Amino acid sequence: MNDNYFGSFFRRRIVFVLIIGFFTLCVGQLFNMQILQQPVYSEKSDENSVKPIYQLAPRGILFDRNHQVLVGNKPSFTLRITPSNYDKKLSPFIEAILGANPGYINRILKINESYSKFIPRKIAKDVSFKVIAWYEENSSKLPGVDYVMETQRDYSFGISGSHMFGYTKEIPMSTYQKRKSEYDIGDEIGFNGIEKTYEDYLRGEKGIKYMLVDSRQKTIGRYMNGGEDQPAVKGDDLVLTIDKDAQRVAEEAFKDKRGAVVALEPSTGEVIAFLSAPQYNLEDFAKVTSNEVWRELNTNPDKPMFNRASMSTFAPGSTFKMISAIAGLEEGIIDTNTTIVCRGGYQFGDRFFKCLHVHGTVDVEASIEKSCNTFYYSLVNKLGLDIWSKYAKKFGFGSKTRIDIPEESSGIVPTRDYYNRVYGKNGWTKGFVISLGIGQGELNVTPLQLAQYTALFANSGKSAHPHFLKSFFDPKTNERYEVKPQYYDIGISKQSFDIVRKAMFLVVNGAGTATNIRLPDIAIAGKTGTAQNPHGKDHAIFVGFAPYDNPKIAIAVIVENAGFGSTAAAPIARDIIKAYLQKSDNTQTSLTSKVSPAEEEKNEH
Amino acid sequence: MNINYKLQDKFDLSIFLPAIGLIIFGLLAIYSSTVNHPTASGNFQKQVLFVILSLIVFFITFSLPLQSFKKFAIVVYGASIFFLIAVLLAGKTVYGARSWFGIGGFGFQPSEFAKLGTILMLSYWLTYKNRDINNLKDIGVALAIGILPVILIMLEPDMGTSIVFLIITISLIFWSGISLFGLFVVLSPGIVAFASILGTYAFIAALLTVVAALFFFKKDLFNSLTVFIINLSAGFFFDYVFKVLRPHQQKRIASFIDPLADPLGAGYNALQAKVAIGSGGLFGKGFLKGNQTQLRYIPEQWTDFIYCVIGEEFGFIGSILVISLFLIIFLRLFKLSATAKDGFSVLVTVGVLTLLFSHFAINVGMNLGITPVIGLPLPFLSYGGSTQMMNMVMLGIVLNIYRNRKLHT
Repeated sequence: MNDNYFGSFFRRRIVFVLIIGFFTLCVGQLFNMQILQQPVYSEKSDENSVKPIYQLAPRGILFDRNHQVLVGNKPSFTLRITPSNYDKKLSPFIEAILGANPGYINRILKINESYSKFIPRKIAKDVSFKVIAWYEENSSKLPGVDYVMETQRDYSFGISGSHMFGYTKEIPMSTYQKRKSEYDIGDEIGFNGIEKTYEDYLRGEKGIKYMLVDSRQKTIGRYMNGGEDQPAVKGDDLVLTIDKDAQRVAEEAFKDKRGAVVALEPSTGEVIAFLSAPQYNLEDFAKVTSNEVWRELNTNPDKPMFNRASMSTFAPGSTFKMISAIAGLEEGIIDTNTTIVCRGGYQFGDRFFKCLHVHGTVDVEASIEKSCNTFYYSLVNKLGLDIWSKYAKKFGFGSKTRIDIPEESSGIVPTRDYYNRVYGKNGWTKGFVISLGIGQGELNVTPLQLAQYTALFANSGKSAHPHFLKSFFDPKTNERYEVKPQYYDIGISKQSFDIVRKAMFLVVNGAGTATNIRLPDIAIAGKTGTAQNPHGKDHAIFVGFAPYDNPKIAIAVIVENAGFGSTAAAPIARDIIKAYLQKSDNTQTSLTSKVSPAEEEKNEH
Repeated sequence: MNINYKLQDKFDLSIFLPAIGLIIFGLLAIYSSTVNHPTASGNFQKQVLFVILSLIVFFITFSLPLQSFKKFAIVVYGASIFFLIAVLLAGKTVYGARSWFGIGGFGFQPSEFAKLGTILMLSYWLTYKNRDINNLKDIGVALAIGILPVILIMLEPDMGTSIVFLIITISLIFWSGISLFGLFVVLSPGIVAFASILGTYAFIAALLTVVAALFFFKKDLFNSLTVFIINLSAGFFFDYVFKVLRPHQQKRIASFIDPLADPLGAGYNALQAKVAIGSGGLFGKGFLKGNQTQLRYIPEQWTDFIYCVIGEEFGFIGSILVISLFLIIFLRLFKLSATAKDGFSVLVTVGVLTLLFSHFAINVGMNLGITPVIGLPLPFLSYGGSTQMMNMVMLGIVLNIYRNRKLHT
């Protein structure tokens, strides 16, 4: 017979033998495993199961620019309930011991109902030693209840910084579904601010202990005497650009006020201070956050959860006059000899735009020093909307500053397209543009953008994107990595800057609007402003930098509903500048500990 | 012609009913392994939906005119290749492999669809008019049809599935009546390639064997030289492919050789699977009572390790029942391959048989510790929509062939 024809008998026989052969092999192996060796496997199944126990890694510590601790870690006890063994009748007793409201435990169990019954739920974090002692005495009567030692964030280092640091929370289900391979249910994850941006640096690596457990999950020893265990690796320590003293002064000044402060190092974009007031208490988030706390935070009319420093937007008022001045000088529309006569306002068509005083003859320098509106009504009318908005955008308005926290707004710089979109092609007039000249109208900026803008004046058009991270320390490689700022240059001539900078100097040190904050030893330059507020008293604004010759700090301060910039905002800016500069003038080391992040870590344990 | 009106004559219940039995076993095992799972507890409901959908698709495929499969072979194959390329460019990465399209909450795996395309296309091409399977050019084209999806799937990378495609290709060429020399041409590059990873000496030895074999076959110089060059380049090509292999895949092969060497890695699963099955004993620990399963010692047990849920909870009797149901399906398909009415139908039947059998052998073998840990689902039992759907489409085609076996065109 020819074996080579299509589907021949010979070929069929090979396939048939293959199928029957493999089937026989399987039956043999099953018989061998399940009948002959069943006792061996049963014993293994009952007694020799290896169970990995995950050890949480402490998060990295946050230091300020002088290596002072801003946010640390502390050990804490977490009380847990595993629903599969738990008897709900016990809840009232545990709630009483914890000092929680009746129904608290059932509510938490309800939230995580969709998880397996075998996964322990965290009921209370940071419980007192008294509770643990009570548990130890009564543990036999409390099935399904246990506690674990964890580390939690420690915020007891003198400053709050809630909006920049952010908090950590148990990983939400939606995030968990996306990052299953990296996280387990119940893990903490950075939720906003620096904790979120640098989550991958801060979280560290979980350790694993391999335990031998029996079929009832009872631990009967260590697997290979712990030889296969992997220790937890602490997260990277971050050295932030924040100056703890400047931050503390800012926080104290805003204790009973609403508003924001952003201070930057002009040459590098490093954030020296960052405050949104009122703040919220990060401690509340370190525990299992109760509904009461959430309700209070979300219904408070002062909106403490809202990050004013980089998300609130408002019309910047007179602090914006320097944009028009720079544009006029750069485009050749004005020079230092150009003057106008201020008779208390500016007539445009049938509208009269008011100035605060009658300034008489005003040149560009005096227009900033004395904050003359008339000069800018006239100037912006000559500039036109297109040139004006081009310069506003050059200084970073209307777009995000790319700061390294997730909460940021881009604000609005009105352009021809913008007005056409909002009012229709012929629905707006040139009168709309006039008020932009003094920073009013549909202009929206954030305090962070204002600080960045001030930094550009301080450093004559060269700066770097604002950022919080200066360097980080990786405990695995034992090495420190510096973060390189992203520098940029907005391409405006030094001559123009020199003229405007000198005017800003005179605001404080000449006959200007902020002479009340003049200091004998530090030359501050700046500009006051008032943001019109349709809902109440105007917001006070001050932007400034110091020292005038060699600026080390640029700052924007806004105090909500406080009236004039010179009286309400400028003194706060002065105090922060003083706190920051006086220290760096003396010796940096006098106020800072010499502990490096690595040594600090050793002290932690 | 004597017309038999009984249902069995039109619809092969001895393929359909065992398949339904396996699906039910699968649902039980999926339920057991996911009911207490924190994130997979919805899988049972999803699988029930998949089963219902796949039954609808099954009956549609069953009722189509048999000729349509031949007609659409090229189109289906072309679409398969298109999807395989598209998934590499735009797919979603699941467990380190780019093999999924996400549509809504559900995923679609082009490599599953490509199984149908490749079987139809190879069957169509190999039985087209007077094809000579012992002509080197015809062997080359047949191989190209089969190897193209293999390479694309290897790039995802999904080793298990690309191995199945390779087996299907070789099996169909084999069934078409390839000569001993032809088989040598097909298989030798694979052997040389494998030798190349064992070292330079093994590689040279394999090449020398090829030269010796070429003298034995006494073919002309041109053919001999071509075969030798194919072998040589296969060796170097494989070196490149081995670098494509992910560390976890290399580890899996190593852990098969000695599972105790790495008890907490890939070998851990294999070991725990054996413990689960072995501890099941004669009658099993009972539904929802297997501690290996319920305490989740084996991750993702409802996919590739579904068989050890059966082994643990239903014991020796349940395990034998499941593989017996498979055996019935295989033997029926085997018999059908002799009675189908034309070459195309025969090859499609053999293709489906090869597909199901290779999945079965690799998966059950892995669970029983007789083959390496290669990630492949167990047909009809494992959790997964695309697989369930395609397996039922395959059965639909095969039963369609059965229905038409006595008709003459």
